[in-house]
Amino acid sequence: MTNLAFDNVTKNFGDVQAVNNLSMELNDGEFLVIVGPSGCGKTTLLRMVAGLEDVTNGEIRLGGDPIQDQRPQDRDIAMVFQSYALYPHMTVRGNMSFGLQQSTDLDADKINKRVTDIGNKLDISELLDRQPSELSGGQRQRVALGRAIIRDPEVFLLDEPLSNLDAKLRAEMRTELQRLQNQLNVMTIYVTHDQTEAMTMGDRIAVLNDGELQQIGTPTECYHEPNNRFVGGFIGEPSMNFIETTANGDVLRRDGFTYQLSEEMTNTVTSGESVTLGIRPEEISLTPQAEETNEFTATIDVVETGGKEHNYYLWPEQGEFQTPIIATVNDIQRYSENDRIGMVFSEEKIHLFHGETGNALHYPSRSREVAPTPK
Amino acid sequence: MNIITEIKRMANARIDGSAECLRGIRSSRVILHLITIGVLAGFLLPLHSGVMTSIKTPSEFAETLPMVPPNIGSITIEPWTVAFETLSTSMINSLMFTIPAMVGSAVLGSIAAYGLTMVDWRGQVGIMSLFVAAIFVPKQALLVPISRFWSIVDLQGILANLGPLNLWALPFLQPYHATIFELAVYHTVFGISICTLLFRGYYLTIDQSLIEAAKLDGASFFATYWHIIRPLSYPMFAVVCIFQFTQIWNEFLFGLVLSSGTQAAPATVTLNDLNSGYAQLYNRQAAGAFIVAIPTLLVYLMFGDKFAKAQEY
Repeated sequence: MTNLAFDNVTKNFGDVQAVNNLSMELNDGEFLVIVGPSGCGKTTLLRMVAGLEDVTNGEIRLGGDPIQDQRPQDRDIAMVFQSYALYPHMTVRGNMSFGLQQSTDLDADKINKRVTDIGNKLDISELLDRQPSELSGGQRQRVALGRAIIRDPEVFLLDEPLSNLDAKLRAEMRTELQRLQNQLNVMTIYVTHDQTEAMTMGDRIAVLNDGELQQIGTPTECYHEPNNRFVGGFIGEPSMNFIETTANGDVLRRDGFTYQLSEEMTNTVTSGESVTLGIRPEEISLTPQAEETNEFTATIDVVETGGKEHNYYLWPEQGEFQTPIIATVNDIQRYSENDRIGMVFSEEKIHLFHGETGNALHYPSRSREVAPTPK
Repeated sequence: MNIITEIKRMANARIDGSAECLRGIRSSRVILHLITIGVLAGFLLPLHSGVMTSIKTPSEFAETLPMVPPNIGSITIEPWTVAFETLSTSMINSLMFTIPAMVGSAVLGSIAAYGLTMVDWRGQVGIMSLFVAAIFVPKQALLVPISRFWSIVDLQGILANLGPLNLWALPFLQPYHATIFELAVYHTVFGISICTLLFRGYYLTIDQSLIEAAKLDGASFFATYWHIIRPLSYPMFAVVCIFQFTQIWNEFLFGLVLSSGTQAAPATVTLNDLNSGYAQLYNRQAAGAFIVAIPTLLVYLMFGDKFAKAQEY
């Protein structure tokens, strides 16, 4: 059993803090996706594991042993680079065997056999004598994977490996990568900025922002129970709608916009404080007319028609909104642009975040309350 | 661009069948060809005159224009044979220091550029700026220090007493080869800075993750150079070799100063010996100039194709 632990890991580039005091732990065979916007420190974190960047502070342990001072080649890890970094002057065979030639004393026959095996596994056996320049993007991707797999490492590091592929191929490779990872059962850290990739691939996902770990959990957890406003907004497409309000007794107020809270919900907020109301587009339902409490009249600005689902961009009549509310509904409901309709924000569906800290005050799905953050 | 516009115009001309338009194209074509031929002639005329001069007798040269071919009956190859006899030893001298210095400065420049570009270490900017500064040191300023240096360091004497070995007693080696060694060292050292800069410019375009991948693959610093960077540098080696060969082969000043009083004179210096004491023998000089230019041309032909065939990333 190997596990990989990050213990208060910090990385500074001069005055810039790329990773800030990050701690987390990965289990054997786990597929962890690190996701976050560009510049959030996710690639830096990966490169620290690889040994391509020094760790400023803290410890990274693999199987209990600190590795941050070991040379990259001694760490028993393999990495797939975003640009694949295939050696352009070597054949596919040369690319795959180079690591074994440099770091092991296997003889040529054994290396060749291993290359052939991995080539069969990845379905690239007929490409072995080609140059990287003669390969398509997807084939290069496979070769880069092969080069990593062949060394039979403890940890795989994948740095946005699918970002150079077209959409269709990306979806295919996504599935294939998952299948491969299940087959090999090697701990994998996968870095991406694409939340769809994160949601579909990871056993767990770690959401990073500004060098800080926002949340680590299963995709479902991160989706349904975001720790804070950032995670809520980052995970899910289109992203969650946020409405900044002020708690006032049992209502959330924003200019003319008033949201009525039940007694139970009122307890989660402090009167007079600012509270952000969050609701996912797919949790908003539309009615021809706003009648009940927590139904709001809005005008449809734009309708994005999809095959199964449609996105409605809605301007509420009250509340002076700067950005429209997005609602995703399926085909049955059809409204046209400029229609006046009602949006239903049912209380079982809403998230509440602290207005200043962004921390979650309330999750919807399990109606579970989060302990309010100490002031 | 021009070709594309022209094709479009031709296509249009075909569609409306307008004879006027076609005529317009023809006349512009004719002008284009005339200009091309004019420029070509401008470039080739001196070369042509040189060849014509080299096969004329001195008296015929005096009586005709340089570009006019000689009378068939009076064509002579005597200037070429004389020039070749005069230059052959010094051409060998030139090759003996040009090739080692070309290879030496290219190899050292490539390794230096690798260390300064692909690896991160403190103070590399300072060192690199010294390399760049070295490019701008004028040769004339080095003339006295270098010649003094080699007169103080008695290379010929040192190589004669390498322990029990006297280098000059070995077959094919002559004491004047010490001077050739001096020239080779000088040209190598003087070339390192520009070679480093040329290689550096190239290495900056190489994907840094190749180096990182090699590092993760377990390759050491030198293994990375040998297996990854060196093979990728071949196109740049071709460029640098052409450049360095031309520079070193055509160099005159240091060849003259360091070789004075020895048999080690390079071809550029000996070229001057083709003058007789009394009259300018232009035909021999022209033939000699062509003979001295041949090795440079050969190097272009040798490396030219590698130069054009760059690796793709």
